[in-house]
Amino acid sequence: MREICFQNVTKRYNGEIIVDNLSLTIPGGTFFALLGPSGSGKTTLLRLIAGLEQVDSGSIFLGDEDITHMPIYQRRVNTVFQNYALFPHMDVFDNVAYSLSISNVPENVIEEKVVKILKTVGLDKHIYKSINNLSGGQKQRVALARAVINEPDVLLLDEPLAALDLKLREKMLIELIDLQATLKTTFVYVTHDQFEALTVADHMAIMNDDGEIEQVGTPKEIYEFPVSTFVAAFVGTTNLLKGVLHVNDGAYKIEFPGLGIFDVVGSKEKEWMRNGNTIFMSIRPEKIEISKTPMTGFSNELQATVQSIVYHGRSTQYNVRLQNGEVIQVFEQNEEHFPQEIIDYDDHVFLYWQKENVVLLEK
Amino acid sequence: MKIKETIREFISKNSSFILTVPAVLWQVLFLYVPLVLVIFISLQRVADSSLFDVTFSHYVTLFNIAYLYIIARSAFVALCVTFFCLILAYPVAYFLALRVDSRWKNGLLFLLTLPFWTNFLIQIYSWVFVLDYNGLINTALLKMGVIQEPLHMINNMYAIIVVMIYYYLPFMMMPLYSILEKIQHDMLEASMDLGATHWQTFKRITIPLSMSGVKTGVFLVFVPAFGEFAIPAIIGGGQQMFVGSLVSHYFLAARDNQLGAAFTMLSGFVLLICALLFNWWCKVPLQAIQKEVE
Repeated sequence: MREICFQNVTKRYNGEIIVDNLSLTIPGGTFFALLGPSGSGKTTLLRLIAGLEQVDSGSIFLGDEDITHMPIYQRRVNTVFQNYALFPHMDVFDNVAYSLSISNVPENVIEEKVVKILKTVGLDKHIYKSINNLSGGQKQRVALARAVINEPDVLLLDEPLAALDLKLREKMLIELIDLQATLKTTFVYVTHDQFEALTVADHMAIMNDDGEIEQVGTPKEIYEFPVSTFVAAFVGTTNLLKGVLHVNDGAYKIEFPGLGIFDVVGSKEKEWMRNGNTIFMSIRPEKIEISKTPMTGFSNELQATVQSIVYHGRSTQYNVRLQNGEVIQVFEQNEEHFPQEIIDYDDHVFLYWQKENVVLLEK
Repeated sequence: MKIKETIREFISKNSSFILTVPAVLWQVLFLYVPLVLVIFISLQRVADSSLFDVTFSHYVTLFNIAYLYIIARSAFVALCVTFFCLILAYPVAYFLALRVDSRWKNGLLFLLTLPFWTNFLIQIYSWVFVLDYNGLINTALLKMGVIQEPLHMINNMYAIIVVMIYYYLPFMMMPLYSILEKIQHDMLEASMDLGATHWQTFKRITIPLSMSGVKTGVFLVFVPAFGEFAIPAIIGGGQQMFVGSLVSHYFLAARDNQLGAAFTMLSGFVLLICALLFNWWCKVPLQAIQKEVE
């Protein structure tokens, strides 16, 4: 499968720069998620691949082929639109068959292919139904079937599940993963929902508000090793603490005003990890142990007061106030019906974490 | 007290129905009752014979090539006008609905409705000054030396058709615009994304989705154009008979209400047939035409 390559792409809308000098490679045959806040330009990138928009400068390659100025209808790229964009004057069959009938495929071949793809998406019982009589989930499946029937090199999905309820969305995510594994087509999935992106993607790119790519990697890399505070905070939940780095004989420590000095893992190769630099530490709430009684075996310890408790079902979120007044979050799995130790409001607690489980960030 | 309660309850339950009564009453009194009267008059033997003295003799009289020719001529002119209005209005409506920046839309729409602000007769009479023997066009062409003799441009069928197209164009434009504006842009994008060219997208998506607007526009133009009376009289100089002019002739000049009513009914019947045919055409052969084009 051919990869998609953006080279120094710039795109403006009414003079406003949406994407500035962006380069990105989307590996072929993968399920790739473009994750970013609303207005970060991720949909623009998608529309540039589809040919619905033209770049102002730079170029886009599909494999070795320069598709920068190729007309939209010649690109072997299909899109699942956010609100499906199904043709209301056609039934399910005609919608799905559209791209084939455009290219004059014989009717018996069309029929065979449509039936096959509708079976794949579980809609074979509704072949001749009118579009207006379908549920949201069914419309979604028609849109998918219509987009993949002509075996495109790339399938673009623009927040395709935004209109569905949570249960259905979770189900569709699994179906999308299966479909991608079956077809081996490159899927590019645009979303602002980090849960969706982490669930479906083999690889993902995080875009910030300025239309820049902050980080590209596997979901695990992105979640566990974010390269910036933006990524750390946008993907999942984290606590960001600002402190001063101390480097002494290859031992790295970070000092937080009013809290003390803590062990961290540093690296000589990073320019910004110099003695005396002000940096950030990102620590995920689930990586912190919380206890009312002192524990041993952890490289770092803090004391705090419980300010509020939010019960999530599978876990409980404690918002705890540190001695310098900062409030951070701690998650604890609800493993037992009757835990031995019950933590309540205003309790004095100990927080523990291992130095390997935090990430240091320059900005 | 009980009656009051009942009335109040009836009103609150049927308020939306009750509100339709004035308009319905108006239609019944001034459209359906007169229509029935016209039917009766068309079956009357002479002006003062009783309503029950029924005869079909007027219809038999009308079964004459001269009358049918007038109906055919009106239908032909109306067809031409409708056809050209559709051809001319569609691109404008399309452009306005799908291409023009929303900032300019309201202003351009206002320009479209401007003719409605002008008196009908002024609109039509001003054409006389344009097309006349000593009119604007002839004077200009003579001055420029393009022609030596003034052109004969008025008092003929072409002039009637041109002026009728001019007058009915906005009636076609409005429904087309309002239906085309409702077409979601991503529908067209989806079509192109699936491999259709601009032309294929227009044929397979835009036209079918705008069909209800085409239908409305065609009816809004064809029906009044078929019975048009003023434009043939003013621009055509009354030289050729049309359905409208013949009806007015019978009722106002010849005072033969019976024949006039019968002729009205006959042309109404033809109109109905045209409408049914058109309705059928919209439904069935559209797909056939599509297939043929490919």
